[in-house]
Amino acid sequence: MSFDLSLIATSLPKILQGLGLTLNLLAVSTLFGLILAVGILLMRLSRRSWLVWPAKAYIYFFRGTPLLVQLFVIYHGLPQFGFIRQSVLWPLLREPYWCSVIALSLNTAAYVSEILRGGVLGVDKGFVEAGKALGLSKFQRTTRITAPLAVRLALPAYSNEIVSMLKSTALASTVTLMEMTGVARTIVADTFAPYEIFIAATIIYLVLVWIIQTGFTLIETYANRHVRKT
Amino acid sequence: MSVLDGWWDDFFFGLMTVLQVFSVSLVIAVVCGLLGASAKLSKSRILRGVAQGYTIVFRGAPELLVLLLFYFGMAIALTQLVQLVDPSVKFIDLPPFWAGSIAIGLIVGAYMTETFRGAFLGVDRGQVEAARALSLKRHQIFRYVRLPQMWRLALPNFGNHMLSIMKDTALVSIIGLEEILFVAKMANSLIHRPFLLYMTVALIYLAMTTVITLAVGWLERRANRHLRGAR
Amino acid sequence: MADIIVLEKMNKFYGTYHALKDVNLTIAKGEKVVVCGPSGSGKSTMIRCINRLEEHDGGRIVVGGEELTDDEKKIDLVRREVGMVFQSFNLFPHMTVLENLTLAPRLVRKMATVEAEAIAMKYLTRVRIPDQAHKYPSQLSGGQQQRVAIARALCMNPEVMLFDEPTSALDPEMISEVLDVMTDLAREGMTMVCVTHEMGFARSVADRIVFMDQGEIVEVSTPAEFFAAPKSERARTFLGQILAH
Repeated sequence: MSFDLSLIATSLPKILQGLGLTLNLLAVSTLFGLILAVGILLMRLSRRSWLVWPAKAYIYFFRGTPLLVQLFVIYHGLPQFGFIRQSVLWPLLREPYWCSVIALSLNTAAYVSEILRGGVLGVDKGFVEAGKALGLSKFQRTTRITAPLAVRLALPAYSNEIVSMLKSTALASTVTLMEMTGVARTIVADTFAPYEIFIAATIIYLVLVWIIQTGFTLIETYANRHVRKT
Repeated sequence: MSVLDGWWDDFFFGLMTVLQVFSVSLVIAVVCGLLGASAKLSKSRILRGVAQGYTIVFRGAPELLVLLLFYFGMAIALTQLVQLVDPSVKFIDLPPFWAGSIAIGLIVGAYMTETFRGAFLGVDRGQVEAARALSLKRHQIFRYVRLPQMWRLALPNFGNHMLSIMKDTALVSIIGLEEILFVAKMANSLIHRPFLLYMTVALIYLAMTTVITLAVGWLERRANRHLRGAR
Repeated sequence: MADIIVLEKMNKFYGTYHALKDVNLTIAKGEKVVVCGPSGSGKSTMIRCINRLEEHDGGRIVVGGEELTDDEKKIDLVRREVGMVFQSFNLFPHMTVLENLTLAPRLVRKMATVEAEAIAMKYLTRVRIPDQAHKYPSQLSGGQQQRVAIARALCMNPEVMLFDEPTSALDPEMISEVLDVMTDLAREGMTMVCVTHEMGFARSVADRIVFMDQGEIVEVSTPAEFFAAPKSERARTFLGQILAH
């Protein structure tokens, strides 16, 4: 079977031209997603049912449907409506880049808000009670006790979510974006050497995953320095 | 929804395809997960290394990329294999159904490897010791003490993996399998109602994932019967 | 030979940590031995070596005439004759009390289910909880769970019973119900090796008390000697601490 190792080497730099866009999508969507997630989390944890209910519905929809379908609804679906095409958002919504960012952000926000909620629920009630006993206000207890502990508990799951986001950016290639997978698909269409090209792309993704995981391990070690054994 | 009249049949058959891909992928994923977990827990360094490589690659590479690699790559490999026997064959197309099911099964199998391994190790060490003190054999400990509790420990994650498989089936439309997203694309080229069509696809998936979630919840309640204790 | 357990120059290491140092101990059939000592003294490690939940690194262990080596068959033979009760009960949470009790007789002794259940009910009656047979462990109190664990070990009809701090995980009001069952067992002539800090139990039941510290057996005495006039300084300090409260 012909398997051309040198083709992997020569295609790596070409695929790397898509790296910038991949990282761009990842960073921008992660940031928007996190901001949105905190908002949804606060709604979800509130005692008012008219806030809880929409948050639950949001999480239910975005976790229950494929990201690819969400992307298609936003990119192909929204322009069906005249008012969208006339709205101020149209310059954004007709760009595949912004549609990808919106889909990725909306999608990850649902997962991240649940990850953070898991962290909040995991915080030992004893600490919060100790805070009450010390006379801390509700705001102080939330920001000084619950939030920092919840973030520590949520970190491992959050790092998995970032990895999952990195992999999801590949879907942007289905709406014509030339991120790494998009570039790889183009090269394959020209050379028809799918093994070499896709394996080369996979290697780059694996390196990125490794960097993300190593980074989070460092952050976790730092965040948990108070429990480190000597 | 009368605009969709005439397309319901197609959506129905698309859904059947989704369910077929789902079932085949699930079987492959469970088999890979069990093999992977056994390999990771084995004493052989080689087996552990192979399993480690498997999980790193299949959990780290984008699902779409794996799918494309399998679809195009396996077609070439298969063609070359058949040409050894019959050189007159020009090209063999691997059915997208199998390329998709195998790719999804292998990807989710890598996640299941970790779930099954964690569940195996999650069974309290004290209980394994108690079983050893009662002179139960290794396979008896596995069968009567570990396996029944692994199931309970693995179930929540297992449910999530089933949801992943269900959602990943949407990807096989990209390699041309006529499942519901593919049907929606086809319909759109004729009736130009993209929002309606893709939203319909989303709602069908939502219904499927809801059924899975409810089923897993029911199984979890059953598996945890013995824990509704006094304390 | 009436000696049912013989430990000769037994050593155990965890990495470089020397957990057991030249332990020598002989236990006769029908004898009740209480092992005590400060935490980390190696008492649990020692009794866990007797049914090879831990492997010893030097010396000899002979149980019921069989020397413990890597031979899996012999280990199985020994474990069949040696029952063990753990600090944390270790009942199988997914099985009812009755299923916990009948599992090993059915699988290891190849007993018919009916027969195994009859024996299980006999021992559940002995430990005074026959009415809990169809409950799950999590539905029982700690004291009840530990009595089930004792019954589970007895169902294998062992020659020797090992107890590894059986009352340490229990609430104070439940300790006596477990000790009562153990005292009954001792009266019936069971050979018992018991790691415990319950000095009242030791005084009334033990034939000998083994005091360990830092991986060594420091002294072996009768309860009368041990509580009246411990031979070693370390034992005096230990008794002072434990009887102070």
